[in-house]
Amino acid sequence: MAPINTSFSRLLGTHGWYEDFAVGQKIEHARASTVDELEGSFIAKQAMNTAQGHWNEHSPNPLVSGRLVFGLATASLVLGLSAQDTMEHAVSELSYGRFRFLAPVQHMDTVRAYSEVLDKRAHPERADAGVVVFKHYGVRQDEVVVFEGERTGLIKKHAHWSEF
Amino acid sequence: MSTQFNEFQLSRKGNAFEDFTVGQVFDHHWGRTITEAAAELFSVNTCNWIPLYVNREFAVSEGHPDIPVNPAFLLCLSVGMSVEDLSEAGGPFLGVEEIVFHHPVYPGCTVYARSTVLETRASESRPDYGIVTWQTALRNGISGATVLTFSRTNLVRRRMPVHSS
Repeated sequence: MAPINTSFSRLLGTHGWYEDFAVGQKIEHARASTVDELEGSFIAKQAMNTAQGHWNEHSPNPLVSGRLVFGLATASLVLGLSAQDTMEHAVSELSYGRFRFLAPVQHMDTVRAYSEVLDKRAHPERADAGVVVFKHYGVRQDEVVVFEGERTGLIKKHAHWSEF
Repeated sequence: MSTQFNEFQLSRKGNAFEDFTVGQVFDHHWGRTITEAAAELFSVNTCNWIPLYVNREFAVSEGHPDIPVNPAFLLCLSVGMSVEDLSEAGGPFLGVEEIVFHHPVYPGCTVYARSTVLETRASESRPDYGIVTWQTALRNGISGATVLTFSRTNLVRRRMPVHSS
């Protein structure tokens, strides 16, 4: 029997349980973020990414003038912007995959996130949660898609975890 | 008389396409002790405010000993520590595949990255670049457990461009 703890479920939104997701469902996330130093240079440096093109404004770069934002910083921002609507009720994030960096992001660009439910299925060992696969998209302020990637989460079932 | 900086020799970093052979292993530099502060800043700066990553009482109620480190940070860090050996010499990121989180990591853990060359091939459109795919693993230095594995592919600059006939 999987452990059941309901006391902290009150901190979570009413929506986003395993039962709430349907394959094919498409979500536009409410908040977009500008990629400034905190989301760009800082993430690259925090992750010890030594490629100076991500944090040296005067490094020559064939793709952009100025700093090219680390692709995984953009990906992480998309994973964050979409987290409340997709992973708030997650037991854990199991895997990511098929990450593609489709267009450059520069500092002061703004990234919006969209998600699509690709699959949902039972977990072989957990009755209290199921597996949901999302495809996330990051879109620049000029509507160019800059990032696509998948994330698989183990999402709690309302029937097992809700207080009500 | 002013200092002549052109007399200083550049301390070059990074490898070229010609430096990679299939099966070659890189133990990447430095390692990293992941502090609570680093993990927290990563999550809040990427708008990832779900309680699993910012609320210790919540994480403990889920059975964790502490707040688990946001797996996106583990991925960024694994790539970051591998950049000098693998991709710093230039060339865009083409993709990352099969990113699997095998065990949670908690603040205070020290992690190390290691990569193996899976494939090298020519770029049909870019004579000055090749394409390399590596498998990277992140290891917890205390338990020895592999916590994250993935493969990534980059365009990698050639030292000598290939000339088409």
